[in-house]
Amino acid sequence: MILTRRDRVFAVVKYVLLSLFAIPWIVIPIWTVLVNSAKTPAEAAALGMGLPTQWNVLENYGIVFTDGDYLVSLFNSIVVTVPTIVAVVLIGAAAAWAFGRSRGWTSKTVFYVISLSMLIPPTLLPTIFLLQTIQLDGSLPGYILVMIGTRLGIVVFLATGFVRALPDDLEAAATIDGANRFQIFTRIVLPLLMPVLFSATVILIVFVWSDFFFAQFLLTGSARQTLPLALYNFANSSGQTLRWNLVFAHVVLTALPLLVAYVFLQRRVMGGLTEGALR
Amino acid sequence: MTHEQPAATDPVRRRRRRAFWVLWFALPATSMVGVFFLIPQLLNLRFAFSNWRSTSSSITFNGLDNLVYLDESGELWHGIGVTLMYAVIAMVVQNVVSLLLAYALRETTRLNSAYRTIFFIPVLLSPVAAGYVWRGLLAPDGPINQLIGVVVPGFDWAWLGEPSTALFCVAFIDAWKWIGLTTLIYIAGMNLVSPEMIEASTLDGANAWQRFRHMIFPMLAPAFTYNTVVNLVAAFSAYDVIQATTAGGPGDATRAINIYLRLEWGQGNFGAGSALSLVVTVLVIAAAIPLIWILRRREVAQ
Repeated sequence: MILTRRDRVFAVVKYVLLSLFAIPWIVIPIWTVLVNSAKTPAEAAALGMGLPTQWNVLENYGIVFTDGDYLVSLFNSIVVTVPTIVAVVLIGAAAAWAFGRSRGWTSKTVFYVISLSMLIPPTLLPTIFLLQTIQLDGSLPGYILVMIGTRLGIVVFLATGFVRALPDDLEAAATIDGANRFQIFTRIVLPLLMPVLFSATVILIVFVWSDFFFAQFLLTGSARQTLPLALYNFANSSGQTLRWNLVFAHVVLTALPLLVAYVFLQRRVMGGLTEGALR
Repeated sequence: MTHEQPAATDPVRRRRRRAFWVLWFALPATSMVGVFFLIPQLLNLRFAFSNWRSTSSSITFNGLDNLVYLDESGELWHGIGVTLMYAVIAMVVQNVVSLLLAYALRETTRLNSAYRTIFFIPVLLSPVAAGYVWRGLLAPDGPINQLIGVVVPGFDWAWLGEPSTALFCVAFIDAWKWIGLTTLIYIAGMNLVSPEMIEASTLDGANAWQRFRHMIFPMLAPAFTYNTVVNLVAAFSAYDVIQATTAGGPGDATRAINIYLRLEWGQGNFGAGSALSLVVTVLVIAAAIPLIWILRRREVAQ
């Protein structure tokens, strides 16, 4: 494309406006959180944007580790997120293949019901009742099972559409070569589904890692809390007036795992989501 | 499977075999959704019309008592009003900002990718963390008012503490958290229009607005449907951001349905809580079906 002078002026104006927008939108929030997490309680209470006059980094972040249950809740968040994502992606992909290759009305109906679970919010109190019945209430395994059951919808929905768009020649050829269904699934279907499963995984991690509503009701006791729950309980432990230096230090540490992962995987995340696997 | 055998000889058996593997592959996902999503939904239909309390030894049908109680206490209609306002504000802010950002950043260049990466950061924050970040930023003496104070000295409006602005602010925080993702979905939709087509139309004299209105926006219809429905429906379950910022206050200005659910749960009124859940489900269905229908019809029309 030939860039005229007008185009170049237009581009400069565009990026100036974008940068001006990014300042209150992204830069000030991050800056405010970082500098105030390094201040003394008295100075952080003023919520200024200047650098700390007295650095209090080790004390603040130390308290998050000791009183904020950081390590326990980080461990719990990983224990919840990893099995949930693995299970949802694997059994979701298996179901998507089945639904995508079947024309029966039963499988169509089941597919619609599972897809509906993407839209209709899960109900809280009957879920607690159900977990009490199977004696898993308040525990991490119970919470993980609920996360799996309520998050499968999006994977099944996205991957089924993907399977339907794939020609089934490869699967037919593998059948002729004597491969069984399980081999076809692991060697042919799963690799082909990778792009859509990767995008779904990114979305799932964001949802499962940051879930607060269900965690608050389904997990009891500080030994079982996940990161969002720990942050909430830690912030509220001082009543109505928040100790901003400590709350922001906890926010930094709570956000850190996903941000670090994002720095490394940023290119793939952006690519996967903009190539339109989510349409 | 013996592929040499002509399909016509035993079609029934072949179909059964086919159905058999489909069953095994669909079974794990189907049973998980069935037990942990569908059964609670069905149970909720029963609990919403029952006297289930933390103190009751048995759960018995009590007709519309829960809804009557929620109606008389004012929770039902106030909760629905707050929830709808929250959802509409969050959805509009999210769509407007995301469309503008997506249009500005639609071409995949190095610079645009950097901006996309930066605007995606809030998506990675949990709603609770986003709530605390903005509770600090919007405090009466916080950074936002300090900035406004440059123009209007002494500005100390309590954004989250005043009933007139609290609901808008919590809905805005929700939108802020998700805009990075919505933007990427719009960019994916916009890039369905090839650059050659855009260039050709530019040479034919189409201006930026005409290009957007007649070439890019029509291709965007599926992404627009997805974003509108998903954002609106997700906002009906508003809870996390509110709990971290105002906890329903000031007064009852930001008490969405799920905040009332938490309050009823705290008092042991599980039947009334279930009824509130059912209200959210009904709202979602009532909003999603006509929205999908209208937006789909527009997609076809274009």
